[in-house]
Amino acid sequence: MEQQIKTRDMNLLNFLRKYGTALGALVLFIIFSFASKNFFTTNNLLMLLRQMSMLTIISLGFTFVMGAGGFDMSIGNAAGLINIVFAISLIKSNSFLVALILSILCGLAIGMINGTLVAYVGLPDFIATFAVGSIVYGIKMLITKGNPIFFPDDIPAISVFIGQGYVGPIPFPVILMFVFVAIAIFTLNKTTLGRRVYAIGGNPVASLYAGINVKKYRLITFLICSFSVAVASVVLTSRLGSAQPLAGEEFLLDAIAVCFLSTTMFGDGEPTGAGTFVGAFIISMLNNGLTMMNVAYYFQYITKGLVVILAVVISVVLGRKMNLKI
Amino acid sequence: MATIDSSVKMATTDLDLKRDVILEAKGIDKEFNGVYVLKDIEFDLKPGEIHSLVGENGAGKSTFIKILSGVHKPSAGEIILNGQSVSFDNVGQSEKAGIRTVHQEINLVPYFSVYENIFIGAEKKKKLAGLPYTDDREMRKAARGVIKRLGIDFDVDTPAILLNASMKRIVEISKVLVHNPNIIIFDEPTTSLGEEERERLLKIIKSLKNSGLSIIYISHNLEEIMDISDRITVFRDGRKIDTMNVEEASVEKIVSMMIGQKSYSNYQRECSYCHEDIYLEAENLYTDKLKNISFKLRKGEILGIAGVVGAGKTEIAKAIFGLDPIYKGRIKVMGNEYEPSPQNAIDNGIALVPEERQAEGLIPSYCVSKNTTLTYLNKWCKGWVVDRKEEIKVTEEYIRKLSIKTTGPNQIIRFLSGGNQQKVILSRWLNGNFDIGIFDEPTKGIDIKAKEDIYILLDNLAKAGKSIMMLSSYLPELMCLCDRIIVVNEGSIVGQFNPKEKDAEKKIMAAMLGGEV
Ligand SMILES: Nc1ncnc2c1ncn2[C@@H]1O[C@H](COP(=O)(O)OP(=O)(O)OP(=O)(O)O)[C@@H](O)[C@H]1O
Ligand SMILES: [Mg+2]
Repeated sequence: MEQQIKTRDMNLLNFLRKYGTALGALVLFIIFSFASKNFFTTNNLLMLLRQMSMLTIISLGFTFVMGAGGFDMSIGNAAGLINIVFAISLIKSNSFLVALILSILCGLAIGMINGTLVAYVGLPDFIATFAVGSIVYGIKMLITKGNPIFFPDDIPAISVFIGQGYVGPIPFPVILMFVFVAIAIFTLNKTTLGRRVYAIGGNPVASLYAGINVKKYRLITFLICSFSVAVASVVLTSRLGSAQPLAGEEFLLDAIAVCFLSTTMFGDGEPTGAGTFVGAFIISMLNNGLTMMNVAYYFQYITKGLVVILAVVISVVLGRKMNLKI
Repeated sequence: MATIDSSVKMATTDLDLKRDVILEAKGIDKEFNGVYVLKDIEFDLKPGEIHSLVGENGAGKSTFIKILSGVHKPSAGEIILNGQSVSFDNVGQSEKAGIRTVHQEINLVPYFSVYENIFIGAEKKKKLAGLPYTDDREMRKAARGVIKRLGIDFDVDTPAILLNASMKRIVEISKVLVHNPNIIIFDEPTTSLGEEERERLLKIIKSLKNSGLSIIYISHNLEEIMDISDRITVFRDGRKIDTMNVEEASVEKIVSMMIGQKSYSNYQRECSYCHEDIYLEAENLYTDKLKNISFKLRKGEILGIAGVVGAGKTEIAKAIFGLDPIYKGRIKVMGNEYEPSPQNAIDNGIALVPEERQAEGLIPSYCVSKNTTLTYLNKWCKGWVVDRKEEIKVTEEYIRKLSIKTTGPNQIIRFLSGGNQQKVILSRWLNGNFDIGIFDEPTKGIDIKAKEDIYILLDNLAKAGKSIMMLSSYLPELMCLCDRIIVVNEGSIVGQFNPKEKDAEKKIMAAMLGGEV
């Protein structure tokens, strides 16, 4: 009898540890619905989904890097540079396809440099990706001199559709986001790639001894990350209809917050595909809901920071209660 | 008259006995997630005795001492220290009460010197202008004193990374001794030590006992247990089977208590399956640690590599597996040129079971099945997609084959006992189709019955035509299993022996120690 009660306690703790943050998201959702009458409307919810699509796509790429135990500080500036590459190449070539390919190549080049420095040269990832991000920022400013670049009117329609179009009632970026979520969850959970990525994050030395090509897979995670950044940045550019000198910068802090939230859910301290989706929903909901409630932007930053701290603290405390860390 | 007398006498000795107990555990239960790991454990420790704990892998030994040292809280039961009931919420409290543990895993900061490691977390301080500073001179002096007390002499300024395994163990013991504990717990301190280091460590532990300390000692080496203990307690499946004085005990008796209904036969290998074909050939290898290593490994052969700790056994394995760069020389696999790297090794049918399961083997966050299939993952895949069902199936097969004690393929591996983790790492390699298996201390931390299972397994692999290299610092197991034994010393091969030849053991020992003796 006593044993059963204890087991039930443990199951409850385990449930909270895995789903607590997701429950928190639900509670937050309900609070916002009551606090602002404009929040729980079809229009606003679709807008919320559209707003979160870019952050979600970037964070999913970042999840691969973090899953393998790495970090990428360059994503904000990379998004900024690709924003400009897409706009300029679209204007110069007047071909969506050319602009898309160039943007993705630009992203992959940044990922290649990050991955090579970290995996093959052996630099610490914070330092390498921070430095690459700084260089990328400089190049962006060199090209634009800090001025925005607007799409002319005779631009191919598809380049506007990507960010602003609808399929039925659903914004196109939302569909794109769900495609990315599905692919990421599948890859991380079911494929050899995901298995090896998390193995490297769990113990890189043991992974090497087990015959995993650790360098190659770490490089691949950086490539996946900057590919996602490129896609998100194309959506962003299309939505803005322009290249903006400061565009994309807020992605870095938000994506970090999303992935830390992701580590508190579903898995055992590593970020997961589903966790990242919920994390992106929480951060975007805070951005959206607090704006609805006319909360000043600086207070939004404070709230986001507090939410991340709270989630991580709770999951660590629950983990300790369950003897997970010895 | 006489009867009354003796009953009075009985009563007083009983009382004396009671007072004569420094630590007592009463009715200890421990469960994790509803699974009982310890049930109703009664245990006591007298001042100045060595009380050993033995039992199969997963019997609950480590869990029990983790309760005594405040890592875990018992689910039920009571701990009585010096006649007072105590309850430890954390390790700090048990340390304050005078209980210290030398854990199975070495835990030194690599670039800290010996004395810094010894005083880590308990640095001596002095005041300068009212502000506290670390007092390095005092710490050096005290560290030297402690090491001398162990009858050993080495420079306390050496960084830990430069020490060999036995020296590291000495530092771990010193770390405990500087706090003058009353009770020291040793959890498998002699695993992967060579004979000489083992002897020295046992001598040290005996001398600690003679200086009045009480010691709890855990090991899978039963000769060692018979040699060092005053009393022996046997655990099986989380229950205490018996406590006996060493005089009443024997290896056979302990084994039968440990394994219960299972059978154990003290394995002797019958025949060898050596073929003429050469599977692996090393020619004049030089690496950072190796000098001019040449040898051949034949199909179906079990080749033993003997040597003291640090002699270069592991380095040979690492060179072949492409983990250490080779400066000169070459390796041939099945007669073909071979470029060493872990991926090439696996593609060429080479397997390496590493020595350090924590650092080099486990993915701690992964469950048993994901750890099992990590290397040959493609075998359980359809395209890029892992077939979870197949994966679970093969894991269950190995759980059965190696009697791995676990709640199932989905249990996270870090919750398995040390020996059972080792078995999972073994099965990671056994499920592949390797031709050349390099086993570096494969029985490290493994109980006597499971060791026998592994010997039989290796024998079967040889019978099936695979080549085995077995690296071990435990000579008896090489003697019983190998067709041929190569001895390394200071990075060179110093001899080759047939274990069946006359006085082989003596000659091998002499070669291992570099010709002295
Ligand atoms: N934190 C934990 N959560 C769940 N189960 C655990 C945990 N710690 C230990 N166990 C289980 O308790 C049992 C006993 O483990 P323990 O480490 O005490 O064995 P042991 O006797 O020290 O074995 P070995 O000789 O292999 O070191 C094992 O089956 C193990 O899986
Ligand atoms: Mg143990």
